[in-house]
Amino acid sequence: MQTTLRQGLARTIAVLVVGALVFGSAAFAQPKTVSYPGLDIESGQSGGAMTMVLGDSPPRFFYYGEISTVSQTLSQQMFDSLVEFDLENYELVPGLAESWEISDDGTVYTFHLREGVTWHDGTDFTADDVIFTYEQIITNPEARAGDAAQFTFTVDGESRPVTFEAVDDMTVRMTLPAAAPAFLLQQRFFIMPKHVLLPFSVEGGAAPADINNAWPTDVDPSLVVGTGPFRLTSYTPGQLVRLERNPDYWKVDEAGTPLPYLERLDYLIVPGTDAQVAQFLAGNLDQLNISGAQFPDFMTRSLAGADFDVVQSPALFGSPPHLAFNFDAADAELAELFSNVEFRRAMELAVDRMRVIDDVYNGLAEIPGTPTAPANAAFYEDTTGLMGEYDLAAAATALDELGLTDTDGDGVRNISAGRALEFTLTYGNDSPAFTDIATILQNDFAEIGVRVNLQGIQASQLLGTGLSGDYEAIVVALGNQPDPELRKPIWQPGGSLYYWHRSTQPADTGEAPNFDAMADWERRIYEIFDRGSVETDADDRAELYREWQRLNAENVPVIMIAKPANVAAVYDHIGNFVYSLGVIPGYNPVPLYFRR
Amino acid sequence: MRRRLRPHRTYLANDSFTHHPSEFERRATVLVFLTRRLLTFIPTLLLVSAICFAVIQLQPGSFTDRYLEDPRFSREAVARINAQLGLDRSPVEQYGRWIWGIVTRGDFGFSFFANRPVASMIGERLAWTVVIALVTLLFAWIVAVPLGIYTALKRNGFTDAVASFVGYVGLAVPDFLVALLLVAMVLAYGGTNVGGLFSPRFIGESWTWAKFVDMLDHLWIPILAIGTGGVATIMRQMRANLLDVLDADYVRTARAKGVSEHRVTMRHAVRTAINPLVSMAGLQLPELINGTIIASIVLNLPTIGPLLYSSLLAKDQYVAMTLLLFASLLLMIGNLLADLALAWVDPRIRYG
Repeated sequence: MQTTLRQGLARTIAVLVVGALVFGSAAFAQPKTVSYPGLDIESGQSGGAMTMVLGDSPPRFFYYGEISTVSQTLSQQMFDSLVEFDLENYELVPGLAESWEISDDGTVYTFHLREGVTWHDGTDFTADDVIFTYEQIITNPEARAGDAAQFTFTVDGESRPVTFEAVDDMTVRMTLPAAAPAFLLQQRFFIMPKHVLLPFSVEGGAAPADINNAWPTDVDPSLVVGTGPFRLTSYTPGQLVRLERNPDYWKVDEAGTPLPYLERLDYLIVPGTDAQVAQFLAGNLDQLNISGAQFPDFMTRSLAGADFDVVQSPALFGSPPHLAFNFDAADAELAELFSNVEFRRAMELAVDRMRVIDDVYNGLAEIPGTPTAPANAAFYEDTTGLMGEYDLAAAATALDELGLTDTDGDGVRNISAGRALEFTLTYGNDSPAFTDIATILQNDFAEIGVRVNLQGIQASQLLGTGLSGDYEAIVVALGNQPDPELRKPIWQPGGSLYYWHRSTQPADTGEAPNFDAMADWERRIYEIFDRGSVETDADDRAELYREWQRLNAENVPVIMIAKPANVAAVYDHIGNFVYSLGVIPGYNPVPLYFRR
Repeated sequence: MRRRLRPHRTYLANDSFTHHPSEFERRATVLVFLTRRLLTFIPTLLLVSAICFAVIQLQPGSFTDRYLEDPRFSREAVARINAQLGLDRSPVEQYGRWIWGIVTRGDFGFSFFANRPVASMIGERLAWTVVIALVTLLFAWIVAVPLGIYTALKRNGFTDAVASFVGYVGLAVPDFLVALLLVAMVLAYGGTNVGGLFSPRFIGESWTWAKFVDMLDHLWIPILAIGTGGVATIMRQMRANLLDVLDADYVRTARAKGVSEHRVTMRHAVRTAINPLVSMAGLQLPELINGTIIASIVLNLPTIGPLLYSSLLAKDQYVAMTLLLFASLLLMIGNLLADLALAWVDPRIRYG
C-alpha cells in the first residue's frame, strides 16, 4: 500500500505534465450551485451565529480515530467527501469529486476532483490527499474508525484489495477486484489533508496504530484542517465546540451567495435529554432534534405563541425498534418455539403497531418496512399486507392451533405439561419509548395467555446483550441505511450482527456461515445479499432486495414495530431548516441554515 | 460518608499531670505520626484499586460495545481495537501493567475513549471542580456557622424551629433534586441560566466583566443545590456543640465572674464549640469528586463527577480507576488533615 519510489516518480512526472498542460488556464475555483426545488429553500443572508447541541464531549477531532457520533457530527461540518447525498431524495451528487465514471464491468471508478478547492490553511486540495486518505487511513486496519473490511474483496476464496491510483493531480482511479454496486454510496468518507497528517501515517514513518493519535482534543485548533463549510476555532473541554465559517467554501446558493451563510456555529455540550430540552426552551440552543414522545409538550408551547416551530418529516435513517425472539435461547423448549415461523406470526398479530405509533410516538411514526424505511424510494417494498393487522382473537386462535393451550387453567398457556408459556423480555429502561413499548407488549401478550417478564437494561447495552445471546426476547432498534448492502451484517443470515439466530454464524471469522442451521428462507436471503453485493443492473438489484423484504414479512425473523419520524424543534430566527440526524456522512443541510 | 469519629486520638482525663513535651520532641512525634499514617496509605490504595478494577471487570458488556451499531463494525476491527487497548490480555496482567506504570513512571494509563493520558483529562477539569467545591464549602460555612450559633442561643424559639425544619429538609432532599427544581424555577420565570457555567456566547471567550457576571448568574444554582445539604449538617453540628458547651462549668464560671454575655458566648463558648467542626472540613475534601456527581450531571458542570460517571458507564477503565483512586486518596488526606488540624486547635489531643 505504501507509495513506492517508482510510483512517486511516476506521479511527479504526471504532475509536471499536467501542470504544463493546465498552467494558467484552469486553476480557478469551480463552485457548485446547490438547489433543492422540493425543499422550500430560500436565499438566505450571510452572517450570524447558531448554537446546536452535542450529547457528549468529543473524544478527539480526528474522524478515523474513534467511532463516535460526536466526532461524526463535528467532522461533517469540517470535512467533505467525494460524493454526498442530495438532501431531497438521497441520490448521490458530486462532492469533492465533480464527476465520475464507472467502467462497464463495474470494477473501475474514476473520480474527477473539483478544481480550486483549498484546505482551511490555504493549501490546495489534490488527488494526493484522496489517495493518502484511502491508502493510509481508511484501509489502515489499525485505524479505529477506518473501514478496511470495505476495501478487501473475497474473490474465488482469495482476499484481494481495492487499489487506488492518482491518474493526475485531479483524477483518482479506484480498481475493484469485482463489481460492487454499493461501492459509490460508500465513498462518503471524509477526505483528510495529507500535508498535515503525514507524520501520523505509515507513509510518514509512523506505526500503523499511530494514526489514532492525530488531533486529540487538546490540539491547536488551527491544525485541524479540512475542506468543509466550517473550521474549528476553539474547544472548551466539557462545554462548547466553536466553529467558524470557511470563507473559501466551494458551494454557492442559486443567487450566487457563497455558502455557508452562518458566520459561526457553536455546539453546546449537554448530556441528557432533559437538560437539552431545558437549554432549548431557555433559548440557549437554536435547534434540537426531539422524539415523538416529547412532541406534545413542544407543540403546546409552540401553539401558545413560543417563538419556535416543531417540524417533522418521514425518516429514512434513524432506528426503528423491533421485537426479536432468540432462535437459540438457552431454554430448549423456548428455542424450538421461537424458531417456529407460525409462533412468530401468531405473536406478530398481538403487536399493536397503531397503538405504539399513537401512544408512544404521538402519531409521529409510521408502519415500518421489513425492514427498509418507507421513505427509501429506491428499495422499499410495501409489505404491510403481508404483515397482518393487530387481532388478539386471531393471535389466540393461531396459538391454539400450535397446541399451546392453557392445560392447567391458570390463565397462562402451557408449552408442555406443567410448563407455562412464559419468557423474559429485555428492553432499554433508560429510553421512555422502549419502556412504553415493552409494557404495551407485555399487556397484550398477557391478554392471549402469554406471560412476559420484563427485564430492563441500559439501552446502550441492548445490542451487546443480543450478540451475547443471553436473552429470550428483546426490543432493539437498528438503523436504516439508504442501501441494504450497508446493513448486510445485520440482515444476512450468518452475519456478524444477525443476533436473533446466532447458530447461523460461522465458527470462525471469515469462514462460511453455518448453512445447516438456516431455514430455507434464510438460505434464500443469504443468497439475495450475496447477489445484491455484485449485481450491477439497478432494477434487478432492487428486485432482489424487494424479494428479501417479502421473505422477511412472511417469515418474521424479527417483528418490526414502528418507524419513528424525524422531529425537531427550531426557533423562528433560523431559516432554511432541513432535518438532519447530524451523523450521516454526506447528509449535511447546515450550510443552508441562516439567521433571519 | 460524613464520619464524625475521631480515630488515632487519645483524650486524657487529666492533662495537668502529664509530661509536657519540648518543642523538639513535639516535632519528632508529628513526623513519626505523619510517616506512619502516610505509609498506611499505600496498602489501602492498592486494595482500593484492586477492588475497583475487579468491580469494573465484573460489569457486563465491554468498551467496544459502543461500536456495534456503526456500519463500519466488523469482528476484525473490534479484535484489533481490543489488541490496541490491551484488552486482549488477562485482567490480572492489565491491572499489573497499570499499577506498574503508576509506580515506575507516574503514568495513570490512557483513556480508551479519548486516546489521551488520563492525567491530562483530569487536569482540564480539575480547576473548575476545585473552584466550585471551594465556593460551595465557603458558602455552606458562612451561612451555617452563624445560623448554628444563633439557633443555639435562641434555643426552642421560632427561628430555631424554622431553621431546624429547613435544615432537616435540606438534609433529606438530594442535591440533584434541588438542582432540578431550581432549573425548573428559572425556566418558569423566563431565565436562560439553566445549566453549565456560562451562556454559550461567553464560553471560550477571554474574561470580561460581563463574562464574570454571567458566571455568577449561573454559579448560584450549583452552589445552592450542592451547598444546601452541607449547610444543614454544619448548622446542626454547630448548634449541638454550642449547646453542650453553654452548659459547661467554665462558662458558668465566666458568667459568675461578671463577664458580659456577648463575651461569654463569643470568646469562651463558640471558640471551644467550633473545634470539632474543623475535622469536618477535612472530611469534605473527597466530596470534591464523588459528592456531587449527579448534581453535576443534571447541571451540566464541566467537573470531574460527570467524567467518572461516563467512564464507568463506558468501561473506560483507567479513567474510572484513576478517579476512584484519587477520591480515596483525597478521603485519606482529608482525614489526616482533619486530625492534624484538630490537634493544632485542641491542645488536649496527642499524636498517638
